[in-house]
Amino acid sequence: MTDRPLSVAAAFRALEGPGAGAVSIFVGRVRPDPGPAGRVVALVYEAHRGPALARFRALARAAERRFRTLRVVIWHRSGRLRVGEISVIVGTACAHRAPAFAAARFLIEDLKVTVPIWKSERARPGRRPRRRPARPGGRSAG
Amino acid sequence: MARPVTVLLFAGARVAVGRSELRWSVPPGGLAAGDLARQIAAEYPRLAPILRSSRLVRNGEYVRSASETVRPGDEFAIHPPYGGG
Repeated sequence: MTDRPLSVAAAFRALEGPGAGAVSIFVGRVRPDPGPAGRVVALVYEAHRGPALARFRALARAAERRFRTLRVVIWHRSGRLRVGEISVIVGTACAHRAPAFAAARFLIEDLKVTVPIWKSERARPGRRPRRRPARPGGRSAG
Repeated sequence: MARPVTVLLFAGARVAVGRSELRWSVPPGGLAAGDLARQIAAEYPRLAPILRSSRLVRNGEYVRSASETVRPGDEFAIHPPYGGG
């Protein structure tokens, strides 16, 4: 967990090493979705840090057992992120591509439902149609 | 005097209470986790519906039973459904 920007290049470097014939990296970014309060301009992430880090370690061990990963990266942002910023990177290094893909998929899917991290949207309200100011003695062109 | 329990609130629970942390007095021998959660919800009624879908955490570990004792000085957290990624 970090409140500093995440780097895909740094994740790739962290996954390099002997035997890693396949490296799979998943990157999650903040989308500008329309929401009930308007278009999303930022997400704010909060975490229960101790249990979140413990769960990251448990996930890494599970990936090693199930997919024989050689190295794993599980990085998540905290704090306020603008649209387009990277919120999460999971990466796996394996001997072959099939377990590398499968392990990355396992890590991101499990992270979303078992790690105590929450996000809340910050939105910009949508524009409403402007009413023309009434001109004295005139008619609306409307 | 016994030390209070530190109650950590996240996401919807934090919004419902209006704070991210509370200090809650419990008897010297402790209090069942379920009873503690009910006491907090009685004080902050907007928390009640959120508690129904939340997990309770004591000292970093999930509470396995509502009868598990929370003792003075413990950290007690309310975890609404997660949403990382």
